[in-house]
Amino acid sequence: MASFNTISEDNQLTNFMQRIEAGEKIEADDWMPEDYRQTLIKLISMHGMSEIMGALPEKEWVPKAPSLYRKLGIMAKVQDEMGHGQLLLRVTEDLLKPYNKNRADLMQDLFNGDLKFHNVFHMETKTWADAGIIGWLVDGAAIITQTDMLKASYGPYARALQRICAEEVFHAQHGESIIMALAEGTDQQKAMIQEALNRWWEPLLMFFGPASKETTGSSKQDLTIKYKIRTKTNEEFRQIFFDKYIPRIISLGLTIPDPTLRYDKDSNLWTYQQPDWNEFKKIIKNQGQRSEARLNLRRHSYEYNSWVRDALSANIS
Amino acid sequence: MSNEKTFYHEYEIFSKRTPSSAFQHQFSLLAPNEEMALIMAQENFMRREPVADIWIVNRKHIKRMNAEEKLTLGRLENKEYRTTKGYGYLKKKWRQYEQEMLDEKEILSWGGERK
Repeated sequence: MASFNTISEDNQLTNFMQRIEAGEKIEADDWMPEDYRQTLIKLISMHGMSEIMGALPEKEWVPKAPSLYRKLGIMAKVQDEMGHGQLLLRVTEDLLKPYNKNRADLMQDLFNGDLKFHNVFHMETKTWADAGIIGWLVDGAAIITQTDMLKASYGPYARALQRICAEEVFHAQHGESIIMALAEGTDQQKAMIQEALNRWWEPLLMFFGPASKETTGSSKQDLTIKYKIRTKTNEEFRQIFFDKYIPRIISLGLTIPDPTLRYDKDSNLWTYQQPDWNEFKKIIKNQGQRSEARLNLRRHSYEYNSWVRDALSANIS
Repeated sequence: MSNEKTFYHEYEIFSKRTPSSAFQHQFSLLAPNEEMALIMAQENFMRREPVADIWIVNRKHIKRMNAEEKLTLGRLENKEYRTTKGYGYLKKKWRQYEQEMLDEKEILSWGGERK
């Protein structure tokens, strides 16, 4: 039998695709095509950094949350998001090994703008209702994309998502609980959620990404589907989000800020006003409302805590 | 930081939910030493679930299988003599002698009080 390492690249690729088609999981030290590795690194590092970039502004709500119970709830959520970031960076680091890169390199990539974080975490939050909308709808949107990848062909990512999705269920219910309390509250509280929804509707549509690569010039959705990392397109995810959340939003007496929104019974699709994709292009260049401020939070935290890394590294070896 | 590349070690984390359950792999994490790894393990993986014990294993101490070695793990499906499946015909035999077969379910239930 020929040694495994001498098998030609073509045969490796055929063997790899057969494994994926058969539903087998690819592990970190298995052979994989370069574009599979690159796609995973881009996807999972962005997912991981977004968890952390989302947790940093969210923790600012702890002192402002209206009761001790709410403070404990949002603190637990912040801690979970940081934990998710840890899991996902770990998965990315193992993929980065052939390039001799590690977590510090990822941090530098984030700081210099090569590594993106999700559009929703570039946005400003104004009131406690924003915290509720984020938990309910932003986490809801994230659950839709993440549960689709629970069976991803890359084993370590699928296993990380098992843990993450279980906790996201708590996050969504935490958000629902905040929204429910406001929806059943005073007129002022009801107005607060409506204003928050108005602010977040476009970012929520953008969350799933443009329908095709024509909008931003590139998209990984075809590759991620080909390699069975995910099964649905950006637009399919957005339609599922509409199916699940539009009836619930309306049932609470809220108005969706899109007068053109309607359900087409023939195509079983929602038609809707496209968000401003030029704004999206600015955000992915870190030129959104709060992009620099959020990056500075991360830079500050990384630099401020460097003494811990220094102190600990003095004792080892 | 100059020692960024050697600062972290990779640890694999195992834990068990109750004193009587088996250890299960949780995930891996980065930490500068075992003590920090233990703290991180609790922070990262045990925020809700009950836990009775934790093992921290430096990844460099794990012997892994490479792709070629994994190919040797396939099994031929001709080992019925090793499993209860190869002895299923006994059920019918015992019936001829008007006896119930002592099957796996029955035998594994014998640990308790005499019934």
